[in-house]
Amino acid sequence: MMGALIATFLTATVEWVEAYTIVLAVALSIGWPRALGAAGVALLFLAVLTTAGSLILTMIHDLAILQFVIGVFLTLFGVRWLGKAIARGAGLKKLHDEDAEFAGLRARADIHEARAAWWIAFNGMLLEGLEVWLIVVALGVQTHHTLAAGSAAIAALLVVCAAGALARKPLARVPENTIKFVVGSGILSFGTFWILASLGYDWPLGDAALPVLFAFYGLGGLGLIRLYSTKTLKLGTV
Amino acid sequence: MQGFVKTLFGDKYTLGVAGSCILVAAVLLHTPAAIFAGAVLPICLLAGAAYLARK
Repeated sequence: MMGALIATFLTATVEWVEAYTIVLAVALSIGWPRALGAAGVALLFLAVLTTAGSLILTMIHDLAILQFVIGVFLTLFGVRWLGKAIARGAGLKKLHDEDAEFAGLRARADIHEARAAWWIAFNGMLLEGLEVWLIVVALGVQTHHTLAAGSAAIAALLVVCAAGALARKPLARVPENTIKFVVGSGILSFGTFWILASLGYDWPLGDAALPVLFAFYGLGGLGLIRLYSTKTLKLGTV
Repeated sequence: MQGFVKTLFGDKYTLGVAGSCILVAAVLLHTPAAIFAGAVLPICLLAGAAYLARK
């Protein structure tokens, strides 16, 4: 359960940092009350989605089907984040830059128009929050701790809000790619474990297979970053 | 709506990688080599992550 909470907290931290950049850019145009209002409505929408998602999943009474459905969603999420983190770690793709993101948003013409800016903040918060929603519902329902998973996401939001209030600029120093790498490995471990369990596979180590899977994806991912970095360097020197 | 669908399922490459890995594991579980599924699925998924990193 602790692993699920840590994964939720870290996922939420990355997403809230990105959402904070959007809300900050909007707030400079239409003021904090309206920007926070847009973010608040998006959060409310996410809370409703979380409740609905949890209710729908708890209606699945067959444990194997529930494990399979959640396992598939976690695998889709985990493999995507791990792949992205490997690409960025190896220099195949540019690292996510909050300062550049902020500058890009401030350069948009529609951000100075009240209604359009409100939608930018609402949409940004909602889209970033959807990944948090997915993890909260999937890990929460499967571990029977949806409330705890939701609290971990809210705790991450409070941490980001506090950091944002202190910094008053984009939180560019948060090691987003490292967090994505760790979370991707962790979520993929949960996905792998539950998919095979739902298909009738009896894990030889039981729950202890989870840290083994996490180590496998983590070390394998590091190996791939090293391999791709070397190839990129070689191509660069040709 | 597009953002919602993309959050849930990712793009076609992610879907292809996850789908084919799960299919391999499901087939393997119905063979005498079922015991190896616990190693084969993680290896397939790591290879999938490597492929997605290059896309």
